[in-house]
Amino acid sequence: MADETAAPAAPPQDSRREMVAFVIGVAGWLVPGLGHALMKMWGRAAACFLTVGMLVILGAGMRGNVFSSSGNDAFDSLGYLADLGTGTFYLVARSLEKNGADVSHAGGDYGTRFLATAGVLNLLAALHAYEAARGRKA
Amino acid sequence: MNAEMGFKLGHFQSMLLFALLISIAFGFLSRRRPIDRVKYIVWSLFLFLLIGVGIGWAMYPFSH
Repeated sequence: MADETAAPAAPPQDSRREMVAFVIGVAGWLVPGLGHALMKMWGRAAACFLTVGMLVILGAGMRGNVFSSSGNDAFDSLGYLADLGTGTFYLVARSLEKNGADVSHAGGDYGTRFLATAGVLNLLAALHAYEAARGRKA
Repeated sequence: MNAEMGFKLGHFQSMLLFALLISIAFGFLSRRRPIDRVKYIVWSLFLFLLIGVGIGWAMYPFSH
């Protein structure tokens, strides 16, 4: 007797669509806006690229903390995860901040928040692109 | 102002830039029609600033 609780196997077309959606989501994470650009959502692509890019440039310019993988505590690790959310822009932030972080001033502290927000915003945008590619209303 | 020297932004300038950028991103992601996007961005920016300044004033008594 067949197990009726088991989910039916997904048709090949659905699994292909899932794969394409996954690739679009990863592309959107790696380069902000690329996921939407691949689906020809040009306005959203430009908005994601520019807002995430501006947040990264401002955050690094304000000498915010760009966290690395060698964090000392949970907050450092969470900050690293948030910063990684910017994808390749993480490397841009690191290259822009040649003098290192300076959080002794309010500006540096704000810069840290700008960088973390850029990462989380880009993750949100990548998830949005993924859902749109799966056929969810976006 | 360049990235190597460091941007010098005040508290309000930082908040304004932050609110503007986030409002634009949310507006484009959550709305389709241009007019709806503009409305969303303006309303979101207004609320960001209102709540930011409001919280700032609410904390004022604890700063002394």
